[in-house]
Amino acid sequence: MQSAPPTNPLQEGLSAQRTPEPCVLVIFGATGDLTHRKLVPALYNLAHEGQLPQSFAIVGFARRPKTHDQFRAELRDSVAQSSRFQPINPAVWDALAQGIFYHQSEFADAQGYQKLDTLLQKLDAERGTAGNRLFYLATAPTEFIGIIEQLGANGLVHSKHTPTASQRIIVEKPFGRSLATAEELNHSLANVFDERQIFRIDHYLGKETVQNIAALRFANEIFEPLWNQKYVDHIQITVAESLGVEGRGGYYDGSGALRDMVQNHMMQLLSLVAMEPPTTLDGASIHDEKVKVLRAIRPMTPEQVQQFTLRGQYARGSMAGQAVPAYREEKNVAPDSRTETFVALKLFIENWRWFGVPFYLRHGKRLPRSVAEIAVQFKAPPAVLFAAESPAALQPNALMMRIQPDEGIAIRMNAKVPGNALNLQPVKMDFRYGGSFGAHSPEAYERLLHDAIIGDSTLFTRRDEVERSWQIVDAIIEGWNTASAPFSYESGTWGPPEADKFIERDGREWRRP
Amino acid sequence: MPDSAQLQTFTAGVETAVDVAQIERQLHELWQLAAESAKDPSQRQITRACLLNFIVFCETDEESAHASEVISTLTSQHPCRAIVLLVQPDVASAELSASISAHCHLAGTGQKQVCCEQIAIHASGPGVAHLGAAVLPLLESDLPTVLWWQGDFLKRIDLFRRLVAVANRVIYDTSTWADPQSQLGTLARAITEYPRGSFADLSWTRLGLWRRLTAEFFDEPNCRTELARIRAVDIVHGRGPGAGLRALLYGSWIATQLNWPVAEARKKIHLSEREDHDATSVGILSIAIQTDDATFSIRKNFGESTASATIDMPNACGLPRKRAFWPEDDVSLLSQELDRCARDTVYEKSLAVAVIVLENSSP
Repeated sequence: MQSAPPTNPLQEGLSAQRTPEPCVLVIFGATGDLTHRKLVPALYNLAHEGQLPQSFAIVGFARRPKTHDQFRAELRDSVAQSSRFQPINPAVWDALAQGIFYHQSEFADAQGYQKLDTLLQKLDAERGTAGNRLFYLATAPTEFIGIIEQLGANGLVHSKHTPTASQRIIVEKPFGRSLATAEELNHSLANVFDERQIFRIDHYLGKETVQNIAALRFANEIFEPLWNQKYVDHIQITVAESLGVEGRGGYYDGSGALRDMVQNHMMQLLSLVAMEPPTTLDGASIHDEKVKVLRAIRPMTPEQVQQFTLRGQYARGSMAGQAVPAYREEKNVAPDSRTETFVALKLFIENWRWFGVPFYLRHGKRLPRSVAEIAVQFKAPPAVLFAAESPAALQPNALMMRIQPDEGIAIRMNAKVPGNALNLQPVKMDFRYGGSFGAHSPEAYERLLHDAIIGDSTLFTRRDEVERSWQIVDAIIEGWNTASAPFSYESGTWGPPEADKFIERDGREWRRP
Repeated sequence: MPDSAQLQTFTAGVETAVDVAQIERQLHELWQLAAESAKDPSQRQITRACLLNFIVFCETDEESAHASEVISTLTSQHPCRAIVLLVQPDVASAELSASISAHCHLAGTGQKQVCCEQIAIHASGPGVAHLGAAVLPLLESDLPTVLWWQGDFLKRIDLFRRLVAVANRVIYDTSTWADPQSQLGTLARAITEYPRGSFADLSWTRLGLWRRLTAEFFDEPNCRTELARIRAVDIVHGRGPGAGLRALLYGSWIATQLNWPVAEARKKIHLSEREDHDATSVGILSIAIQTDDATFSIRKNFGESTASATIDMPNACGLPRKRAFWPEDDVSLLSQELDRCARDTVYEKSLAVAVIVLENSSP
């Protein structure tokens, strides 16, 4: 028997985009908001771009009784509202809808899973989905472990019918609410799935600008030599939201800004901006580098938590000319709640590259605008030459990576104002994705669903990343348990006035993104 | 200085005549005016975008109009400075005239417009001699330059040489040439004259799905062993423009990638032509790769823009697959080529093999 060549010579020169294998996507929580607003519109967009497998089916798993046709009709309405391709292309939708099915069952009902298995086998035979399964947990997090156990107990994961097929699972956030609960969930997953089958979703990683962080750093020689403690004064990561809790008061009050945003999205941004160059661009190499950053974050004692963190809670105020209620007046929020809706952190990464460079993280709700950005603030140039003429104007250089809205990159530098005098003024070189590339970027969920279908885990989070993030966050929450209540801030402002003092005592100031 | 009415005309895509020597200045003033207008909140914000210089060579008014249509759509994906050259050396009167216009697209769901400029230059008679000097100063610095040559550049080889010298990438479509097979050798030699540039034939781009489906047969290691056991590659093509050349390029690609000597390639690759009544035909109709134990087949589905791939082999690896052909209009094909930044060495090697195969076939 002749051995196969190590690589396929016919793939040379063809684009690296991998062909998705046939599969069935089973969505648990199929009648929920996430399925309707994000998942199915993203699947339709993928179908529109010809990026779904030829043999593909979607099975919605939920409690409410519904026919296949009812389910399809509801999803069509959602796609019509939320797809980036408007109007709906009837041919694309019809082809997708033919493969959409509804399966009604309680999440804890073993029989429901056995019937699901029968349905999936039928789809394998009729639609050529080859035994490949992608399970998506889009339910309330309290259901996650029960569903995982049922999948394992009812033989849906290591299918005896098609032993070579792939079975994967996507787990939505929140991934636990502490280190202990995250470990419990990871343990439950590990009982049924291998780590390579598990895709923990963090939709920030699907955003184009976040993916561009590695390209900016490692595909441009001019930045990386400056990307260290010798040239960088500090880094600010801001994720600001103008919205309040928007009907999620019950969930949010038990969670708070730190758990809801910092533990996952902001820690991922931090690790991408601070990591060392990976040896390759495969998932494992990138996860390895990201987790090294998280491990190098200086742990905080309860005393240091008071010094290096600050939390706030929004009070009444006005947004876009409308009066808005205080957090404690929101539906399902305790009137004496101490849950933070604003958080500012100062973190240090104790490694060679970042020693002594503070990373300021700031997130809040009911801030003046919704914006997410990373700003690398460089050290100030020696004020020898221009100090006399333009002492105030000589601002240090900054590199801003705007994640949303208006995705792009800007550099702030000093330039001479035209005229006879030697006056300096900071100017901005601005690159915007929309302006340069024109094309509409795919939604984050499109990229992530596509990657999960083809089995690429690069843009998902690994077990050790999640657990290390929780370790950092748990220490902060523990410190807060003995601290006073969060500072209050007026809705529509950039957080409590104490947040300004928090950074000003270091001789720095928050950016106004 | 232009006024707001001129700006409106410009951004609406209406061509405005301009002196060749004043093109750059006029454009600069229009964009400056657009930037100032953007400060007025009642005005729609306009952003100029440019990622490449895109020179289009045309010889007829129809080609020129087609180029404008293509650019109008293409700029939403590939913002560029488009320079459309209408070159008519055989016209007696000397002329070198120019016009400018813009192609604007709404960015996202907002009110911002992203615009790209188009410069049209008409050169006729002895005016053609000044074309190179007119184009050079119009190229945006530090950006790649792509030359899309509509028609057969071998007919205008001197002019081609002048323009290709400033281009990083040259795109053409041999399926529009009168007799491409007889010119393949000249084409291959022209390519070797410009080792720093990269060349793209849209006929080759149209082979994308055929190549991908073929390659996917052999992704699985147990199928890949069959590559060393291929006995025959049967390629059936229709009679449409460029269909024969496409089949030849496909066969040459297989031979190139599998390192077959020319004699082996000629023995194993069989091209045949068939009457084709399918309105959705795309040149090649079917491919069958035969080994001792297996047949790997791809066929275009009649009446559909799809192809089906099947494997006939014990313990076959992979199910039958059916895929849609990518759109074959000029915008889609050009867009695919503009997405590719690097030189397409696989194409160049396959073309070289096709030339040798043809030369060895000649009586």
